[in-house]
Amino acid sequence: MTKKVGLLTTNFFHPTQDRIIMGGAERYQVDLCRLLRKLGYHVEVWQIGDNWTKEFDGVKIHGVKTSMNEYNTFPELSMAFYENSVSFDYAIYFILSLAYPVAREKSLAISHGVYWDWPGFDVKTGRHQDHQEWLRRMNIALTGPEKLVSVDTNTISYFNSTLSNFYHKWEYVPNYVNTDLFCPIDDNQEEKDKIRILFPRRLVPVRGVNETMRAAEILTSRYPWIEFHFCGRGHDDNTEKLMSQWVSTQENCYYDWKPFELMPQVYQQADIVLIPSRSTEGTSLAALEAMACGKPVIAGLTGGLCDLVLQGYNGYLLKPTVKNLVAAIEELAKDKAKRKTMGQRGREIALSFNKKIWDERWSKLITDVFC
Amino acid sequence: MPKLTAMMIVRNEADRYLIRCLQHLERFCDEIIILDDSSTDNTPELCLSFPQVKLYRRKESLFLKDEAQLRQELWNYTVNNSPEWILTLDADEFLEKKAATELPPLLKQTYFQAISFRLFDCWGSEKYYRVDGLWNPWLRGFSIYLVKYQPHLQGTWPKLKFHCGRLPLSYRRLPHLEGHLRIKHLGWANPEDINKKYQRAITQDPEFRYMSKEHYDSILWPPEKIKLEKW
Repeated sequence: MTKKVGLLTTNFFHPTQDRIIMGGAERYQVDLCRLLRKLGYHVEVWQIGDNWTKEFDGVKIHGVKTSMNEYNTFPELSMAFYENSVSFDYAIYFILSLAYPVAREKSLAISHGVYWDWPGFDVKTGRHQDHQEWLRRMNIALTGPEKLVSVDTNTISYFNSTLSNFYHKWEYVPNYVNTDLFCPIDDNQEEKDKIRILFPRRLVPVRGVNETMRAAEILTSRYPWIEFHFCGRGHDDNTEKLMSQWVSTQENCYYDWKPFELMPQVYQQADIVLIPSRSTEGTSLAALEAMACGKPVIAGLTGGLCDLVLQGYNGYLLKPTVKNLVAAIEELAKDKAKRKTMGQRGREIALSFNKKIWDERWSKLITDVFC
Repeated sequence: MPKLTAMMIVRNEADRYLIRCLQHLERFCDEIIILDDSSTDNTPELCLSFPQVKLYRRKESLFLKDEAQLRQELWNYTVNNSPEWILTLDADEFLEKKAATELPPLLKQTYFQAISFRLFDCWGSEKYYRVDGLWNPWLRGFSIYLVKYQPHLQGTWPKLKFHCGRLPLSYRRLPHLEGHLRIKHLGWANPEDINKKYQRAITQDPEFRYMSKEHYDSILWPPEKIKLEKW
């Protein structure tokens, strides 16, 4: 008989609208569900919603009516999932904190990176007793699942130094890239007259969009041969409107987000790729895709980006201030040979993050736990 | 590459944007299914001058009587021509030029069976689009224009005489990929059309059931009240 896996997340669909914006986490979820189905499991998903059931990519998704978010945990949602998925054999908690207060016996939980390094997190757990309460709940969340999967080493290091009794549970399964789809193109043709800087991220402050816009203003006014391409969705429609208006006031700045299928070409046309996150990063899919396309990456010194970029080897790791960004971009923009060398090294690193390796690692974990 | 079929209803489009629209569609569509709603000009002949076009003709016009029935007939003709992906555009709507190269990858993706776009209403010229109130393309959301044909889904329309939607209801409920290509709508681009279209809109919806009175009134606003952005 087919074994059943329930997956719990917070927001795949927008809780109240028929809207999905496919970012990295959504793609990860769909790819994981596809892998589970390929391995012969029946999969259904639960998330926050208004008691609806929808379907995506052949998987049923159930919306659970809850609004409670305490100390960055979702106890009502988690308990509703526990009861509703009783007929399911196994569970996957797509976010670590969803395994609080209770987790299914045969289950896994995933961390997509540290999200509590964002200074604004202090608003939620800033007071000492609130922080302790969040940590107490995380301790419970980590206790339940049989294995804890992290996309980066940063999360594992954080917990090993904070809640050290879960050392044996952690599994490092870094994010992935399809290195056949994302590959370099031969750009040894004629000299290009413009250097293209790409920002392939959501237009949100933690991704460093504000610093990048300011750096773009400085560099495009200093060098007419530098152009900036912003390629990502806003957090809401108004942000996209504002970005469109802003680029229309700038020389050599462009905004034109693309769906995933067109992203290989976007990376291939770039000369330097910026991943200038301030915080809240795992092993960024965008960074991996840029590296797989043979591009040097200027990355924020945060989260799992340090697992991907080696300082001065395949790009730069820096605190993404305007000053630091301007200096790093300026240097690389003027040094074609360095860009090429760093890009080649990036490609080599990306090969070890191939999607096939991710499939194999996850398959082994699933087989080990779901037995 | 998956087959792409465009479907369209036309009526007396010869002096408007029809030729440009068909020239634009033939760049990336394999087949164009057109239902002529009893044109009295040479619209049918123009349609037939394009080899990809399959033309069906109504003897009696339905557009102002029962749009849902008209849409249903077009859908039935379209699905009888073995479509894979179906694009629904009007004869005054244009996808951006890059659609010829950037639409095919969307048809090959396997996450979504429906793709939505933002529509930009060009106003008074083809160079500017309107952004005030409900005209704002950035804030009014995406609509589905492109779907993968799925025989198991019902291909029926709600019983509405007007504003009944371009696709069967079941397709409009599909999770959709928000497409990056913009649709340029030229229906309001010619200043001479604006008053005529206003009259038609309020005749069809005298009790303001589909749109607010304020929105209809905004059609006739003086230029200084209208906000535009460059295309």
